[in-house]
Amino acid sequence: MSPGEIWVVAEFRRDGLTRVSEQLVGAARDLAAHKELTPLAVLIGGEKSQAEELTRLAPHVLWVDNPALTPYEANRHVVALSKLIDSRGAPAAILAGASAAGLEFMPGLAARLRAAYLSSCTRLWWEGEQLAVRRAVFGGRVYEEFVVRTSPAVLTVRPGAFPRPEPLTSPGELESAKPGSTEFEGPKVTQTRSTTSGGRDLSEASRVVAGGRGLGSPENFQLIEQLAEALDASVGASRSVVDAGWRPHDEQVGKSGKTISPELYVACGISGAIHHVLGMNTAKVVVAINTDAEAPIFQSADFGVVGDANQVVPELIRELGRK
Amino acid sequence: VTLKVVVLVKQVPDHEAAIQVVSEQELDIEKRYVCSYFDEVAIEAALALQKAHEVELVALAAGSKHAVDALRRAVAMGIDRVEQIEQDNLAQSDSLAVAHALASRLKVLEPDLVLCGKQGGDDEQAAVGPMVAQLMEIPHVSAAVSLSLDPANSSATVERMSEGEVWTLQTGLPLLVSAEKGLAEPHVPVVTRVMKAMKAKIEVVPVEPLLDLPDTEIRMQRLRYLPPPTRPPVKMLISPFPGNVAELVDALGEAGVLPGKGDPS
Repeated sequence: MSPGEIWVVAEFRRDGLTRVSEQLVGAARDLAAHKELTPLAVLIGGEKSQAEELTRLAPHVLWVDNPALTPYEANRHVVALSKLIDSRGAPAAILAGASAAGLEFMPGLAARLRAAYLSSCTRLWWEGEQLAVRRAVFGGRVYEEFVVRTSPAVLTVRPGAFPRPEPLTSPGELESAKPGSTEFEGPKVTQTRSTTSGGRDLSEASRVVAGGRGLGSPENFQLIEQLAEALDASVGASRSVVDAGWRPHDEQVGKSGKTISPELYVACGISGAIHHVLGMNTAKVVVAINTDAEAPIFQSADFGVVGDANQVVPELIRELGRK
Repeated sequence: VTLKVVVLVKQVPDHEAAIQVVSEQELDIEKRYVCSYFDEVAIEAALALQKAHEVELVALAAGSKHAVDALRRAVAMGIDRVEQIEQDNLAQSDSLAVAHALASRLKVLEPDLVLCGKQGGDDEQAAVGPMVAQLMEIPHVSAAVSLSLDPANSSATVERMSEGEVWTLQTGLPLLVSAEKGLAEPHVPVVTRVMKAMKAKIEVVPVEPLLDLPDTEIRMQRLRYLPPPTRPPVKMLISPFPGNVAELVDALGEAGVLPGKGDPS
């Protein structure tokens, strides 16, 4: 077993390669360069065009070409990856995005390998010969750092933790692997359907505009959607408006919803209960718009506007249009 | 057919409990423990299954002595039988060690279905459920928003949430399912049930290890705890409306977070 590689398990969705997969290929390139390791992007199932797309960013791409592995299913992913390790040897690290899929199959893989597993990492670096990670706990109120001692280290990484890498000057090498068996036991995906209008999912978005009770009515969420469009952002919501049925669950930002780290977060009519703040306090730049100058959201913001979001947001859309 | 359903529950500090980084090696956590939110969703989902089918329900917890708080919540919500795994030091262990303790007990209980929350409200690893399934060699589905069982055919239909999509899966039992918000709406138990749960019997069960799993230290070592980076004080834009909005747009332009440059969406 020679831990001479760092693997990134790439994820494609309807709208293509996920941003976190791109970011991880960049992270793997950097980590590998320090230790003379080989960064390898791994595609389990999927299509040749997707594997080729990965060669834009990754110097080495391994495509496990097996129709039984499409669409994604966690238990199959674990079997496919562990077979790959049997044939190729264990890498130093296996990285995947902390997406719904990553959080589903990566812990299972780690358990099968009896390997170290840490999820939703926000930083990776070498501490001597060992890989070290940072991650947030208690909703970002505390960070913890670990060194990982197993080969492989099995790690999921939060979207937005690493920058998007530059494309390679010449495409990487594409290698395909055909695993022996095409039969897999276990759950079968029978249907997938979209619950959103097609915008980029919150957790991957660079910019998020979120609305709360201060908007007054579900109809006024149109303003949030319009501002999101003007900013090329995704729409988020506070728990109270999700619980009130104004917005779907998968737009909820906060402790029982999503934890996100966009470049820009605009909180409109959100008071900033701790529950909400725990989901967005790792955003880079936070704007708060609220009628109450004493609202706690202003303590978690970089820029504050005291005013009614229903009045401020349309003006903000106009002002952005003038730029 | 009677199905055996085991719900895994975990105690976590209340989200309003004070948490301080005392030193690199020590946290000070206010002792206000509750059942982790997503585990309450799993409990509620289990209770719903019990209404629809012939189901024997058990709640199982591992971890520190505070696990009792999560188990009492399960009792108050309506689960009759609860078990706490007797094993020291699990609070300082990694997810795999905790999953191993749970899987070791589950091998004895032989459930048809294991339910748990999709992640704990403290370390947010979201790992124990999938790991338990792998160690038990049963399939799992994470982040479920709906679950229906067909006991006669020993099968289940699960819908899981994945970034704006709902995926439907068909699978046989036994199975482990982790709960996303929306799988069920946890009810708040009435005070009399909470009082009664305070006196409920909590069975402490020893476990025979399923595997010869090395200690956490072989896999990883925590270097330190750190306080999160602090945000500079908020800059309030105080010009009269709409001048403040124009100032805001200028400030965002300077911060480089407006669309158009560098970062195509």
